[in-house]
Amino acid sequence: MTEVFSESIPESQAPFLQLTDVSRVYGEEVKVFAMRNVSLSIMPGDFMAIVGPSGSGKSTMLGLLGCLDLPTSGSIKIAGEEITTLDDPSRTRLRGRTIGFVFQQFHLIAHLSALGNVETALLYRGLKPAERREKAMDALERVGLGPRHDHRPVQLSGGEQQRVAIARSLVTDPIIVLADEPTGALDSTNAENVMQIFESLRSSERAVVLVTHDQGVAGRADRKVSMRDGEIVADEYKVLS
Amino acid sequence: MISRNTRDLMSVAFGGLFARKVRTILLLMGPVIGVAAIVAAVGLTDSAKGDLKAKVAQLGTNLIEAKAASSFGSQNPTLPIDAVRRAEQVKTVEKVASVVQLTDIIVSPYPQAKAKYETTPIPVVATDTRLPYVLEVPLTSGRWINASDNENAVRAVVIGSGLANELGYLPGESRTIDLADKPYGVIGVLGKVELDPSLDNAAFISFASADADFIKEDVLPTKLYVRSTAGTEQVTSDALRTAISLGGPKEVATEIKAEALQLAAQSDRQLQLIVASMGLLAIIVGGIGIANVMSISVMQRSTEIGIRRALGHTRRTIAQQFLLEAMVVGFIGGILGVLLGAFAILVGVWLSGWVFVLQTWIPPAGVVLAIVVSIIAGLYPARRAAKLEPLETLRLG
Ligand SMILES: Nc1ncnc2c1ncn2[C@@H]1O[C@H](COP(=O)(O)OP(=O)(O)OP(=O)(O)O)[C@@H](O)[C@H]1O
Ligand SMILES: [Mg+2]
Repeated sequence: MTEVFSESIPESQAPFLQLTDVSRVYGEEVKVFAMRNVSLSIMPGDFMAIVGPSGSGKSTMLGLLGCLDLPTSGSIKIAGEEITTLDDPSRTRLRGRTIGFVFQQFHLIAHLSALGNVETALLYRGLKPAERREKAMDALERVGLGPRHDHRPVQLSGGEQQRVAIARSLVTDPIIVLADEPTGALDSTNAENVMQIFESLRSSERAVVLVTHDQGVAGRADRKVSMRDGEIVADEYKVLS
Repeated sequence: MISRNTRDLMSVAFGGLFARKVRTILLLMGPVIGVAAIVAAVGLTDSAKGDLKAKVAQLGTNLIEAKAASSFGSQNPTLPIDAVRRAEQVKTVEKVASVVQLTDIIVSPYPQAKAKYETTPIPVVATDTRLPYVLEVPLTSGRWINASDNENAVRAVVIGSGLANELGYLPGESRTIDLADKPYGVIGVLGKVELDPSLDNAAFISFASADADFIKEDVLPTKLYVRSTAGTEQVTSDALRTAISLGGPKEVATEIKAEALQLAAQSDRQLQLIVASMGLLAIIVGGIGIANVMSISVMQRSTEIGIRRALGHTRRTIAQQFLLEAMVVGFIGGILGVLLGAFAILVGVWLSGWVFVLQTWIPPAGVVLAIVVSIIAGLYPARRAAKLEPLETLRLG
């Protein structure tokens, strides 16, 4: 494995997501810098892991990258659009258009079928029910769950639930898939299965970001961003020999 | 056509309600019981007077009686000779008939019974050809006095339904009765006059016969029966007094014949109000219940709300989802409440032999009330749901 620095990223490509001098401070009197002057560009085709010890700022990073949180200072651009100045509804819609989420706890809606869960990501987009259903079915088939589309989350194993969640994150065709410790709640077989699906998502139209403290998971990524005390301490590319 | 987003919203709201059936039944309870109580309260109190109401509707409220008021110095007060023409001057008067109540005429079915009928006299009324038409009472048999009877002063008599019973008169029977010893042929029987039962025992003859056989002076009407345009009975009644007396010495008293019946047909407003307010209280408590159950639901579903927000559903959409759930609960609860209330009325009617009455505006009003209360109840939980921060509910790793 060879270390390559970020300067080597081809200049011609515009980043999908760009953090510039971003800080996130908690607390009024006692200020906690959950993130301090972080700059990071997520490029098309990135398959990235963000790693770091507990309290290093991974979750904070995930909230900011996922457009679920706003920085105390600095700039965040998604697909060239500055999000820190957007109003809440616009930011929500931008998030829905550009980012797909996968959570450690799957976070499926319990009363909906697998298909219903995937379809939820396509609501309020002016789609006909038939179109929505077709897209959701396609996404479920991509993760190998087409035949289980009418099963409720309780009828599915953890691995299957996480695959439904992945289908849900993909169905909107996002430019960035953000996964928060996606194998954390799975046994090794299911974890392997899920990792293989993530690996298959590599595409120049997309970036995949895994937040994890599992070095095994991080080792599968092409790019590894290491955090400590709210700062990025390493940004390495794996070069296949 | 509803927009696709609205349709999406409806499928989410209905799906949420359908998925949590027990909770939905709990939510429905308030509007169902409240609306049912209100509908039953109004319906039952109305139904208790239903037969009277139907009677008022059938008889009409627009029959007015105008009679000569006893003024000083005259024992048998009369109306002016042209009272009918004067009454017809009133614009809201539709039709008029006049009568003369004759006194001191002994009516007897046969000469031997005269002594008995001297003590319980049968009233004799001279009248024009229009009386049944104005009273809107048909004849049960035979015919009424016609113009030819009047012109020729034919000794013909029409008897009231009560009198016909008393005399054992059979329809079509040829019968003669004595009016002050003068034989009169019975030509018909007038139907029951609900609005003026005093006429049921009377014997009716033409003005000409009255003039020829019984009255020495001018035949002056003592009473008019007037039908006014529907709804104008009060003004007509007031106008008639002046129109007929025209400031002359003859005073006129008027009476709206259905007034007493109308009064009797009025529902017990107080009782209705008490039971309906209890229903209103029930629906308000139901509304508080909805607010409560939905608030708990918002807490329980906070993760779901967080996911939806992460997936791009706006705060507004989340609030609308909960409001729509509340609205659907109100709508379904309102309909069920109306049905339950109507059923309660049916049972009450069946048990007491009343007439089923449910005013048409009550069912839609009940449903609207349930929807309004439910939406108001849903406002707070919907606000809470919209305010949730996805970052806090999703517990990132
Ligand atoms: N809401 C908050 N209020 C105050 N401080 C916070 C808040 N969220 C995070 N922090 C602080 O910011 C720092 C970074 O936290 P963060 O959750 O991002 O770490 P992490 O890398 O995700 O840790 P872990 O691996 O344990 O999940 C920590 O010191 C934490 O205490
Ligand atoms: Mg964390």
